[in-house]
Amino acid sequence: MRLSGSTGALASADQLCVTCVELLGVDGASISLMSGGMTRGTFGSSNAMSRRLDELQFTYGEGPCLDSVATRSPVLVADLADPAETRWPAFRESLLESGIRGVFALPVRIVSEHVGALDLYRTETGALPEDVLAGALIAAELAALPLLDLMGADVDWAAVGDEGAAWDELASLERVEVYQATGMIMEAAEVTAPEALVRIRGYAYGHGMTASEVAWALVERRLRIATNDRRTEDEV
Amino acid sequence: MAGDIDDVIATFVGLASRLARGYDVVDLLDTLTADCARLLDVGSAGLLLADGLGELHVLAASSPDTRILELYQLQARQGPCIECFRTGAAVSVPDLAAEAERWPVFTESALAGGFVSVHALPMRLIDRTLGTLGLFGSTVGSLNDYDLTLGQALADVASAALVQQTVLDDRAAVVAQLQGALNSRIVVEQAKGIVAQRGDLDMVEAYHVLRRYARDNNLRFSDLARAVTTRELSAQTVLDHTEKRRRS
Repeated sequence: MRLSGSTGALASADQLCVTCVELLGVDGASISLMSGGMTRGTFGSSNAMSRRLDELQFTYGEGPCLDSVATRSPVLVADLADPAETRWPAFRESLLESGIRGVFALPVRIVSEHVGALDLYRTETGALPEDVLAGALIAAELAALPLLDLMGADVDWAAVGDEGAAWDELASLERVEVYQATGMIMEAAEVTAPEALVRIRGYAYGHGMTASEVAWALVERRLRIATNDRRTEDEV
Repeated sequence: MAGDIDDVIATFVGLASRLARGYDVVDLLDTLTADCARLLDVGSAGLLLADGLGELHVLAASSPDTRILELYQLQARQGPCIECFRTGAAVSVPDLAAEAERWPVFTESALAGGFVSVHALPMRLIDRTLGTLGLFGSTVGSLNDYDLTLGQALADVASAALVQQTVLDDRAAVVAQLQGALNSRIVVEQAKGIVAQRGDLDMVEAYHVLRRYARDNNLRFSDLARAVTTRELSAQTVLDHTEKRRRS
């Protein structure tokens, strides 16, 4: 997997984490990455402490974000010091030593694959209020975009710009024909679902089309799929 | 009144028995939407489910035709279904052409697809609305009270099938269950793409090939789809099965 053009993606991921802290009233946020044919690790963070905590999960091999991806569902811990809480002994201790009492991990998805998690840290105990949880779910959804950028070298994220455009972009990816076309590329080129989606998105940008238009062209066999990395201008 | 009473009874008996025996959400809801279309005598029935962010996604439809699935997905932005989801109340549009200004994009596509009336019923669960049951009619006119009650009952069965009672008070768990159902749909569509590509089929043919394989091998439809997308089961094996069946 090529990582060129990753600087912009990493900056977007950091910015998303900073925005989470500002808008959701949490004390730290990080995005970690676990599959999708990419390296595991911390991908974005709001500050140095969040980054260090996130990285510790990979050092210890345990933590809510790993569980969140494994179980494909949010992992919400209102009080890490609760005696009934016995999960992640090593990581929990590090969190408590850093003054963190609540941790909330929300899965980040690309197509149907859970590729990582958005982790939110709080120094106070207590469940996340409904509106904060709703905001966090939106942030986790948006986190898929910089991840896709990290995977796709030929996409110019700066051209996408504001958040409204990001939603349009997401809506264009979440369509039946895009899922079907993803499957076609998975089969023809022997790649994972996220990699197939990166190809659709890359072609769309390169040809001024939406992902949906590219997908329809594939479903209706009007576009060729390259079977390897050396694809021509006219191939997805 | 559409749908004779024996058919209605047989449908609910079938649903009840599948709910009791354990079921695959995608499979059950594809069947349920086909039941809806038949019993209510509408051209197409489909279910749209909201994700954790309140965005609607196609979950099931009475026909696997991609263009029709797309008509449901269009309503994530505008149309009777999103309106029904936002208000939690049924929306009846007996003559779609008269509403062209209200939902220009959706109306144009629906009319192009041969649908001239739409009814949207909420999928309710206790105090929340999970999504919408959309009914597309090929003739102008409203569904009568009997049909609307029957449609609402089927929508309620769909809601019950989606969320396990045990997690109702746990918001995160409910979100996870609904997301799981949506993921199953995505995986089914991917598997259709894989089989279509491998066998040079269109998406409807690919759907029937997968469905036939699942039935003959006693597999849940979404388990089969997942096995195909993870390559545990090759698309060729699924295609060979259909071929063998055709020959015998």
